[in-house]
Amino acid sequence: MTSRSTSWRRNLATLLAGALPILAVLMLWYAVCALELAPVSLLPPPDAVFGRFLVLLGDRTFLSHAGITLFRLFAGFGIALVIGVGIGILAAGSRTVAGLMQPVIRVLAPVPKIALYPAFVLTLGFDHSSKIALVVADAVFPILLATYQGAAAVEPKLVWSARAAGASQTRCLFTVVLTAALPSILTGARIGLIISCIVVFLAEMITSTDGLGQLLVRAARNFQTVDMFEPIIAISVLGLILNAAFNAVSARLLVGFSDQR
Amino acid sequence: MARLRSLPGLSALVACLALLLIWDALARAFAVSGLPPPWGALRQLPSLLSDPETLLNILASLRRMAIGFFVALACAVPVGLMMGRSAVVAAFFNPLFMVIYPVPKAALMPLIMLWIGVGDVAKVLVIFLGVSLPVVYHSFQGARAVEEKMLWSAAAMGLSARARLLRVVLPAALPEIMVGARTGVVLALITMVTSEMIARQTGVGNIFFTALDMAQYDTVYAMIIIIGALGFACDWGFEAVRRVAVAWAEPSHQIAVGSA
Repeated sequence: MTSRSTSWRRNLATLLAGALPILAVLMLWYAVCALELAPVSLLPPPDAVFGRFLVLLGDRTFLSHAGITLFRLFAGFGIALVIGVGIGILAAGSRTVAGLMQPVIRVLAPVPKIALYPAFVLTLGFDHSSKIALVVADAVFPILLATYQGAAAVEPKLVWSARAAGASQTRCLFTVVLTAALPSILTGARIGLIISCIVVFLAEMITSTDGLGQLLVRAARNFQTVDMFEPIIAISVLGLILNAAFNAVSARLLVGFSDQR
Repeated sequence: MARLRSLPGLSALVACLALLLIWDALARAFAVSGLPPPWGALRQLPSLLSDPETLLNILASLRRMAIGFFVALACAVPVGLMMGRSAVVAAFFNPLFMVIYPVPKAALMPLIMLWIGVGDVAKVLVIFLGVSLPVVYHSFQGARAVEEKMLWSAAAMGLSARARLLRVVLPAALPEIMVGARTGVVLALITMVTSEMIARQTGVGNIFFTALDMAQYDTVYAMIIIIGALGFACDWGFEAVRRVAVAWAEPSHQIAVGSA
């Protein structure tokens, strides 16, 4: 009983300590505005910015822009997940695939993918597909590498037992290895998800007619400072929600794995 | 096969060639003006690279990137180490970083431009922000994993808390910090290109996106090759430094991945 109450108290203290710097930033922001150290056109007060955000949450156009961004994010992330996990597992199962993929990945992984975006725009057009392609290109590598590393580290005894019990090699790969590599795959997928979040926004900032990134560029061109904050707040909130949702899903999936997230 | 694998340069070269061939095949299959065959872009490379203005632009970009990267390293490593060793500091900073993490740092560029103009400072600041977070995160992880017994022994031998951080925690966390810094190098490059694209004045990103607007497709693809090569060179150089600096640690197989 006592241990439970102290841990509860510690959680509260952690929460309060974490809230402090965020509050401090907000207070500083408020103070700068209240003392009129910066013109309102450059730095609008926080209550105006967050009040506008609450208003926009009920605004249909803003929500549809956010929806478009979300659609691109999930389409890209989904494709990257399938490709990354697929190739990662195959590379762990076959030396030929691993030998073929390794140099290609070594060359491509450190290349800044945003540099490929003009190529995607030129070949796939200005619509969804070029943005989704960029998200895939950026998110696939962390997922692939994490899958490969996880799958290569699977306890060989598990595979031997499954083989001895009569499972075919392919079946083994997709039932035993895939499941055993799950913690590592989820770690990679989480990095991939955050990257997708960032990349989709950038792609929309560069060339787009819709989406949250485009809203930011439009506000910047029209010098609507308050509106410049809104897409940034939206993407931050989106990232927090996705992260929390991802944690919940992986906690469900990882029941039975010892102490791994 | 084993000898082939000991020559990483060769396999990378073969991979590059394979990619060029795939590109060529795609260009033939699509046959659109937006995707020229790779040879045109390659032919563009010498004239681009011998143009002093282009070189100056690339150097200016690299200079901004280096400043942003090293300032970020100097600030982020101490913060990360302290977070790893003190639960209070960790609780203090964690939520703040969680809120900032999913924000694309280059998206702050328009706001920062409003406040401090389009000059070098704005771009360096954005690069600094982009590099800081992964370095903080990995320093935090590295410092948290330091063997407690080593710290106890150091304390028993009379090292002060600050000396312990400097002489025990820092070296022990160095391999992990290097992983973060390697992600940071790639991130710095991405943020650099994106920030120059938003504030077009000088730099690699400026040449790149201006060529795109002018429909000079060969130049666009040549710039893609240059930026890709820069990314690869930064990563490769960093790996070389890492191998010397933390030769005692287990080799990390991690390949840097990241985004702005």
